[in-house]
Amino acid sequence: MPSGIFKKKSSSTLPADASSYLLALSQADARTRNKVSSSATSTISTPALSLSSSLTASTKDTFLTQADKDDIENIHGLSLPAKPPTSDQIYRAVHTEFGHCSTEEFRRFSSHLPNTPVPKHVDRDPPYYVLLSTYISYLILIVLGHVRDFLGKRFYPKSYADLMPSNGYAPLTSDFDSFYTRRLKLRMNECFNQPVTGVAGRTIQILDRYSPDYNHTQISLGTISRALNISSYNYLGFAQAQGGVADAVEVGMKLYGVTTCGSRLTGGSSDLHTATETLVAKFLGTEDSLITSMGFATNSTIIPALVSKGCLVISDELNHASIRFGVRQSGAHVKMFKHNDTNALEALLRETISQGQPKTHRPWKKILVIVEGLFSMEGTMVDLPRVLELKKKYKFNLFVDEAHSIGGIGKHGRGIADYFNIDPEEIDVLMGTFSKSFGAAGGYIGGKKCLIDRLRIRSYSGVYAEAMSPPVMVQIIASMASIMGVQESELNHSVSSGGSTLRLASPDSAYYGPITQRFLPTWLPLPYELSSGLEGRERLRRLSFNCYYLHRGLDKLGFIVYGHPCSPVVPLLIYQPGKMIMFHRMMKDRKTPIVTVPVAYPATPLITSRIRLCVSAAHTKEDIDEILRACNEVGDVLDLKHGISKKERWTLDEVCGRAVELVNLPDHDWGN
Amino acid sequence: MASASSTFDTAVLTFAHALSTVERTFYKLPGSAIIERYVRSSHQNDPGRTFLELIIFFLVVRTVLQSRTRADRSNPKNFIEFTEKEIDELVADWVPEPLSQPLNDVEMAELAAVPVVAGPNGPHPVLVNTGKPAINLASFNFTGLAGNEHIKQRALETMRKRGVGSCGPTGFYGTFDVHLQFERDVSEFLGTEGAILYSQGFSTISSVIPAFCKRGDIIVADRAVTLSIQKGMEISRSTIRWYDHNDLHSLEEVLQSVEKERRKRKGPLTRRFIITEGIFERDGTMTDLPRLIELKQKYKYRLILDESFSFGAVGRTGRGLTELYNVQASKIDMLVGSAAIGLCAGGGFCAGSNTVVEHQRINGSAYVFSASMPPLLSVSASEGINILRDNPPLLTKLHDNIRAARVLLDQVDCISVPSHRASPIIHLYLRNTSPDSLLQPPSSIPSGKPSNPASPIPRDAPVFDIEKEERLLQEVVEEAMALGVMITKAKRVRGLEITEARPSIRLAMSSALSKADTEKAVNVVIKILKRKFR
Repeated sequence: MPSGIFKKKSSSTLPADASSYLLALSQADARTRNKVSSSATSTISTPALSLSSSLTASTKDTFLTQADKDDIENIHGLSLPAKPPTSDQIYRAVHTEFGHCSTEEFRRFSSHLPNTPVPKHVDRDPPYYVLLSTYISYLILIVLGHVRDFLGKRFYPKSYADLMPSNGYAPLTSDFDSFYTRRLKLRMNECFNQPVTGVAGRTIQILDRYSPDYNHTQISLGTISRALNISSYNYLGFAQAQGGVADAVEVGMKLYGVTTCGSRLTGGSSDLHTATETLVAKFLGTEDSLITSMGFATNSTIIPALVSKGCLVISDELNHASIRFGVRQSGAHVKMFKHNDTNALEALLRETISQGQPKTHRPWKKILVIVEGLFSMEGTMVDLPRVLELKKKYKFNLFVDEAHSIGGIGKHGRGIADYFNIDPEEIDVLMGTFSKSFGAAGGYIGGKKCLIDRLRIRSYSGVYAEAMSPPVMVQIIASMASIMGVQESELNHSVSSGGSTLRLASPDSAYYGPITQRFLPTWLPLPYELSSGLEGRERLRRLSFNCYYLHRGLDKLGFIVYGHPCSPVVPLLIYQPGKMIMFHRMMKDRKTPIVTVPVAYPATPLITSRIRLCVSAAHTKEDIDEILRACNEVGDVLDLKHGISKKERWTLDEVCGRAVELVNLPDHDWGN
Repeated sequence: MASASSTFDTAVLTFAHALSTVERTFYKLPGSAIIERYVRSSHQNDPGRTFLELIIFFLVVRTVLQSRTRADRSNPKNFIEFTEKEIDELVADWVPEPLSQPLNDVEMAELAAVPVVAGPNGPHPVLVNTGKPAINLASFNFTGLAGNEHIKQRALETMRKRGVGSCGPTGFYGTFDVHLQFERDVSEFLGTEGAILYSQGFSTISSVIPAFCKRGDIIVADRAVTLSIQKGMEISRSTIRWYDHNDLHSLEEVLQSVEKERRKRKGPLTRRFIITEGIFERDGTMTDLPRLIELKQKYKYRLILDESFSFGAVGRTGRGLTELYNVQASKIDMLVGSAAIGLCAGGGFCAGSNTVVEHQRINGSAYVFSASMPPLLSVSASEGINILRDNPPLLTKLHDNIRAARVLLDQVDCISVPSHRASPIIHLYLRNTSPDSLLQPPSSIPSGKPSNPASPIPRDAPVFDIEKEERLLQEVVEEAMALGVMITKAKRVRGLEITEARPSIRLAMSSALSKADTEKAVNVVIKILKRKFR
């Protein structure tokens, strides 16, 4: 409930008042900023949070759109925090981008408790009638589709012209290949490729659209509405247009422009690339690293440089498409093992090593096992300790794709190795992306220096693909530095902040520590809250809390959710295809709209269609409450609660009220 | 005897009783009537039928239970049974190769010599390697859009509204308004129905090709296509036929032979594609587009044209080959261009009809499975198009510089320049007539027979000593760098490409350089070449 100055200002709708509201907000912010910089040891002065200035700079027109008015009136309840901040609370972020939450209780560290077994992923099975009706749904869809095709081809040949040979050209797609797209996906097109604008942060602005012809075309309505964003891969909430990281990007972009003109090896390298790679290596705890301008291309262009004919790639059956794309280009032999089943992996290793290459039975040149840290569709986590045990015994090389786990899990945000407190150098190739946790784009490879140097000259990316863009690199440097913390000198020292004393360095880790100023470009401005590493740590802890809370909250409400509770990807099982669209629509049409991502075949097995929720550190506890409330209501209507038995379930109020207790239950006590 | 028979009777009775209990319970089960009806109707008083049904049932069960990961066992001919102990021994014996070989001295030196720019890149960057400013003939900045203040300003505004990363693939809230705007801009600029934006230039065509070309389809491609096209074709698993580099006669012959083959086999109509580049990355030669389009229409092929090095560089306003030859862009089925190279922003695009574009939104793997491009890069690319459209002098200046450089380079005896006179990238080959004559002379006299279309290697493949030429060229590059001219060899991933490209130095022209600077820099290169190879 807005109150005080907020209420007074927000009740007015006229543009003049709106801009004065923004002015007041920015002045208030400037005041807090001065206070911070005077109290902080950092001497770098940064421009004040420029909400109002950015608005005047970016919108040529002076009138406000409906979307802006909605924001000021807080129609959707998303633009102002539930509790107005008290005078001693300082927020540097815009609430719609990064939610204000200062309750110390709503924090959690994500790490594996030593000497406990890695919890096995338990798939909960729905009742048989759900499975049966799912199959029947698909059957009806398929039969109807074929009937429509049969009749359509005879009565409306025009609309099937693309599928028929014409004028001596074979059709671009055969009707068989495109059947799924035309007859099944088309029905739920409203859920996909939704155009958006603004920042993909805590909230997102969607460009409203409608379809007059059963989803064949989508027509823009010209209006924009704000929705709670539980769909973007913005795990640490660094998708921000305001704040310290964005200020750093601005400085960097003014200096470097937007491109470095060319590939890394042929005139597109800059000192910023070198600096980013050094920092990324330090972040990962590896000897060296290299960066590429696209996450997909990191896998697809680097795997062929690692393995070739005569090598074997053993790949988890649910690995991402980019891995398959890369492996197929490499010419290596591929085998898959059952998702996350280390026993199946061992059996396969024993078989393949003993049998050797097919036909010739010669020994394999190399065996590369490729797994993901957190699987993007399941939210499951690889049992790294066990895989490393196998690695010692079977001498294979290990490639871990950390696209979803880097930044998101581990006490220091360094991904899967950090989560299990394992030396990152034990993994041969650490791959990950910057587009998820760091709000940037592109990907990296970390490993031994000799490996990275080899990849620099031998991967297609280094030779042919464009180098990473400078603003993207600054985003990476600034966000990573804020997680690591920057020391003025080599000495460890503690700083006090907000009454609690936090140590800058992480004495509990042998692999990760703060960096010194020399890792950062000299021109890079980092405000104190970022360089101290305090904000980064806050983000990590908020993300972990939110993940656990949403995951366990949904479970306690009776839903079937997959994956590890510390995974920011929370798949909520839906099963029937028709319910996916309904779920999506009902979530979007609420008073506080929530945007969700339905995932179905072929990304998942046919029957386990799901809604994939992506938690962010930018969400406040109230946001997660809101999502749980929405899921609870929609779930009751759509009959989605097939998880734990009714007796064990909690009510929504219970879940929201006992959130902290829920989150802090140890992993191994959960679900037993 | 009697007692035995009575025991037998009781047994039979108990059995009958048990049977009827089972039957009763069975009928109590819901749906049992259906099963009963099914069994009755399939049995039809013929035990053979029931037997068959049972066999089918067990086959199904067996298929379901079969492990997916151990497919090799199904091929017992090739499977050797080992005991656990033997396996343990084999595992202990196995010595894998190291994951990567450390770099040798030559590679190490080459990696160390890669130019690194301190600060922003542009026509006169400062090199980290030498600490001095250099004239840039290496980076792709054809129309000088890099460092453009207006683009920077617009990119900055976009960043302040939309942040840096898009944080999602295009399907899931990663399609920003500015991405759609760029797609509209580029399709209007070229005159096609639509366009689709990929987030990396290199990955664009390797994703476009497999989106359309499937197993059984026919691709006819130039023998000297760039690596990204080769990889795209490899993934597509289509049947590939090759024609001689930039030789449209050879193309026609191949097209005819494919048609003959098809008639002979009486196969069904399959999709057929011609894949080539506008300006070839490998040597800067240019395709004769009008003739190519004539052929494609005559033989009913679809054309996938990679304009990465001609879009933003060729034609009056940089629209590429279609503008140069005055051909409608809509005649090219899939026109692929790079916004990273031509517009100094990032990403690539594929322009074509709406069907072509929409098909890729579901089937282009690099589009579907990758985070979308940062919005600020998309806006930079859009602004680049606006600047090109409104400033033809930018292109005139580039073309003047290309001409000036070519005038100088064409007079040099020790090199040959394969590139087209309008190409913004100029490749320099070492001529085989170098005095130390260590380079091999060209191979035997051309036999005149056509090459085998099924093989990417042409019949009269030019012979060159890759290692030696690379070394000599690298020396030239490093000397030029020491003299304040930043140039580069055309780098390759040797051994991973279908055919090896001849080593070359690749000069990239830019309208950001004055004509005097261009000439000065080219003269420095020429001087080094002359000194080394006279």
